Amino acid sequence: MRKGLFYGLLFTSPAILGFLLFTLGPMIASLVLSLSDYNVFKEGTAFIGFDNYVRLFSGEDDLFYQSLGATFYFVALRVPAVILISFAVALLLNMNVKGRALFRTIIYLPSIVPAVASAMIWMWLLNPDLGLINTVLEWLHLPTSNWLYAESSVIPSVVLTTLWGIGGTVIIFLAGLSGIPKQYYEAIDVDGGGWYSKLRHITIPMVTPTLFFNTIMTIIGSFQVFNEAYILTDGGPNNKSLFYVFYLWRTGFRDTEMGYASALAWVLFVIILFFTFIVFKSSKSWVYYEGGGRS
Amino acid sequence: MKTSRLTLAAGYAALILVSVMFITPFIWLIRSSLMNLSQIFTMPPEWIPNPVQWGNFKKALTILPFDTYFMNTFIIVIGVLVGTIVTSTVAAFGFSRIQWKGRDIVFAILMSSMMLPAAVTLIPSFLGWQMLGFYDTYYPLIAPAYFGGGIFNIFLLRQFYLTIPRDFDEAAVVDGAGYFGIYFKIILPLSRSAVIVVALFTFLGTWNDFMGPLIYLKSDHLFTLALGLQMFQGTYTAQWDLLMAASAAVVLPCVVVFLVGQRYFLEGITLTGLKG
Amino acid sequence: MLRSKKTIASLLALTLLGTTILAGCSRPSKETDTGGNSGQDGSPAPITLRMTVWGAPDELAAYKVAIKRFEDKFSHITVDLQHIAADYDTKLTTMVAGNDVPDIAMMESGTIAYPLAEEGKFLNLQEFLDNDPQINVDSLVPNLLYSLEPGHVIGIAPGPESFGLFYNEDMFKDAGVEPPPAKASEAWTWDEFVEAAKLMTIDSQGRNANDPAFDPKNIKQFGINFPTWWGGYSNFIYSNGGDFVSADGKTFALNQPEAVEVFQNIADLMNVHHVAPSPVQSKNIPGTNVALQTKKVAMVIDGQWASTSLAQSNFNYNVGVLPVMKEPMTTIVAGMFSMFKSTKYPQESWELIKYLIDPESSIDMITAGTWMPSYKSWYTENDLLARWTENLASRPSGYKDAIVEVLLNSSHQTPTGYVKNFSKIMDVVSPALDKVWLGQQTAQEALDGVAAKAQELVQGRRDIQQ
Repeated sequence: MRKGLFYGLLFTSPAILGFLLFTLGPMIASLVLSLSDYNVFKEGTAFIGFDNYVRLFSGEDDLFYQSLGATFYFVALRVPAVILISFAVALLLNMNVKGRALFRTIIYLPSIVPAVASAMIWMWLLNPDLGLINTVLEWLHLPTSNWLYAESSVIPSVVLTTLWGIGGTVIIFLAGLSGIPKQYYEAIDVDGGGWYSKLRHITIPMVTPTLFFNTIMTIIGSFQVFNEAYILTDGGPNNKSLFYVFYLWRTGFRDTEMGYASALAWVLFVIILFFTFIVFKSSKSWVYYEGGGRS
Repeated sequence: MKTSRLTLAAGYAALILVSVMFITPFIWLIRSSLMNLSQIFTMPPEWIPNPVQWGNFKKALTILPFDTYFMNTFIIVIGVLVGTIVTSTVAAFGFSRIQWKGRDIVFAILMSSMMLPAAVTLIPSFLGWQMLGFYDTYYPLIAPAYFGGGIFNIFLLRQFYLTIPRDFDEAAVVDGAGYFGIYFKIILPLSRSAVIVVALFTFLGTWNDFMGPLIYLKSDHLFTLALGLQMFQGTYTAQWDLLMAASAAVVLPCVVVFLVGQRYFLEGITLTGLKG
Repeated sequence: MLRSKKTIASLLALTLLGTTILAGCSRPSKETDTGGNSGQDGSPAPITLRMTVWGAPDELAAYKVAIKRFEDKFSHITVDLQHIAADYDTKLTTMVAGNDVPDIAMMESGTIAYPLAEEGKFLNLQEFLDNDPQINVDSLVPNLLYSLEPGHVIGIAPGPESFGLFYNEDMFKDAGVEPPPAKASEAWTWDEFVEAAKLMTIDSQGRNANDPAFDPKNIKQFGINFPTWWGGYSNFIYSNGGDFVSADGKTFALNQPEAVEVFQNIADLMNVHHVAPSPVQSKNIPGTNVALQTKKVAMVIDGQWASTSLAQSNFNYNVGVLPVMKEPMTTIVAGMFSMFKSTKYPQESWELIKYLIDPESSIDMITAGTWMPSYKSWYTENDLLARWTENLASRPSGYKDAIVEVLLNSSHQTPTGYVKNFSKIMDVVSPALDKVWLGQQTAQEALDGVAAKAQELVQGRRDIQQ
């Protein structure tokens, strides 16, 4: 095992070194700054102990709770939606159909259209008075919505817009699906099983390692939602889409309270760590590695 | 046979429906890039440019030194791509195929770097690079790729490596292979789709990265395409026609790379050949 | 072996940590001097001025014209123009953190200009104005200066921007409705404005909003598109004699009758009269030209910069004076040029700022409609005025009366320029206003609801001696 340690460290050394060189320093710096009144523009920085954290949890900063609530709501809606829809789309794209290269590329296209260009489309699609979606709904005699412009529908609307960006998740599922040996399915054919038992007994168990990856990354990404508030909603209406990282960024950069923003960031760090840890712990009972490796 | 044809038809229908929804933003971009300002915003939208404004591309691509930006982006992308593919596959191997004490703890610590919002590490990172004398160079953009290439990629590859049966390693060990042999002869070939995915994501992510070049570069002649794209937004109004043309020009290479790249993980891997 | 690796690791971590913290906290007061100020033979040694700006290629081109003229006159000076296309404040903040600031920066009064000024990062431009024979405050149009406190100027705008009532002429002609007047003396009262908006709001059956059978659920054409950001409603608060904070700077004033009346009036346009699309998007994405050209709305209140895109659209548009509450008024909003204290060449930087605000340098941007001149003479002397207001698609027939005259005679400074802690106060006010626009609360209820909280954030005014 001694040899294992040597080779283990050898193979992982670039990554470990990279972490120590480029990541750890800034992380610790921000942790230290979270105990200070650091303001980029101010001469001199004073250490104020846990004052920033006290300010957070004392209830004095209601936007902290507001943004936390909005973010949890967003995560709760988005994570299942992204995972289910991307998996379904990946299954479709994995079918042996003509032109699937084209279909796969199309699914990924919205992920590479620059945000400045695509934000405009959303503004138009979801505009209550002039937008396409309401026009279509009216035409179908269905109830319309104020979408991004109403308190109750803003977060679901933002989730909806992010679903156009599932291309990456789909591609990872596809890579996972492509690794499933064909003869496994043939065995089910021999047993006379249909598509459901293939899905249930082969596809889903075999794709759990990628499902696990996508779940973790979607959780981490959703908690850090920023661009949608920055580009689409500006946190409104009535702060209902004031996402945590957007609030944090506003505090650190616009209001120049970088010390307090660092404290906000470390609270989110702990929250994300907690949820990631739970998924990691639970994975032992549902993630299936043919290699028998541990997660 | 009959049912499968029915499933296929339903599958096609679903695929086409999804594709229509997903291609809309791209079509919007392309048609806007060929329109004049007033036609872009006509309500209800028009989908066919009339007249076709090829001039938008000419103007957008000459108003800024896009050839320089293209070369710069290309250099950064290649630098990052090589580093990421080499070091992330190696690191993922160390985190999945070798048993060693403390492995999972180290992995967890590396994972944690993704959980802290980048907004608060931006300034410390910038100061670090500046102190090393690498402000306004490509080092801050490229060098990290040679040190693991990002935990996202390592994690992704690790997940794929873990699905490869252990018997293969043991068989190779019997044949006298060490860890390097296993890495080269077994793991890399068998995880080709995952490596291609990492390469694609790295290419597209680097190609479109805006924040990195914005913070670490200051000289015009070093700027990248993603930076150049932003320049059509003015104080009060944006030059939407040029912005759309420039965006389309920047996105098209990505589409080509993706179309070509995805072919390589299109075919499933058959383990039979190896097993037999 | 494990032990030694750990030691190396922690050492590495410590060094990097140490260096970043040091860099964060220690700030050398003076940068080491790299270039001499004067040569041996008396001719000035070559120097370089650094300047950061944002803007589209056409704005950038205007800056380059100014810089070219400047470099021709001062042959020993080179200007290094750094263009930061997006996330300007983020980039500038990291530059400040790294002690890598330019000599001159374009700044925005609503974001980090005042936080920087409050930490003494900018030079007081008042001193330059006082000592310069070529330029003085009276030669500029009103409200171009941004001050930290009276006598302490932190930035000068290269030109003003004001608001107007843009409309589609053909729509009024077809409906047989009198279009908005251009002259301030003939300006609509609020009620006249609402009445016109009602006549111009049409439902899917072709009935206007005065028709008893009018169906507010199926509106095909709105009378007015009203901007709900602070720049839009500030015009009317000032016109009504109200303000964001009281005259002594001590009291939150948006819950006072003058302001509440305006907020309620705007909300009523959407929810009672149904003449404005409700809740309009807070960010003015594409907007005005499209809305008017496609006859989705008949009138739009917008900044005069909308002229550029209107001029490029093919339809008959014009501009009228804003409706008045008590007196004609427009708010002036504009970016500014500031000079960093760390500059080694304050006098040269000042000369450059003067070139940048000279309308002659930015004539292309002015005739295109995006900018307006900074010098008063360009508004008062007929030949100069003609250069940027006559025979141009961007300057319709109502422009001189509705925009130029009002700007000269009855303009008000942007609240970002004199209300201390403005953005924090608005973080409290804007969410409350969202409820007003949505018709969930009356303006009085909503603003009274946040008044106590906003009051805590009131820190005074910059335009009075405290």
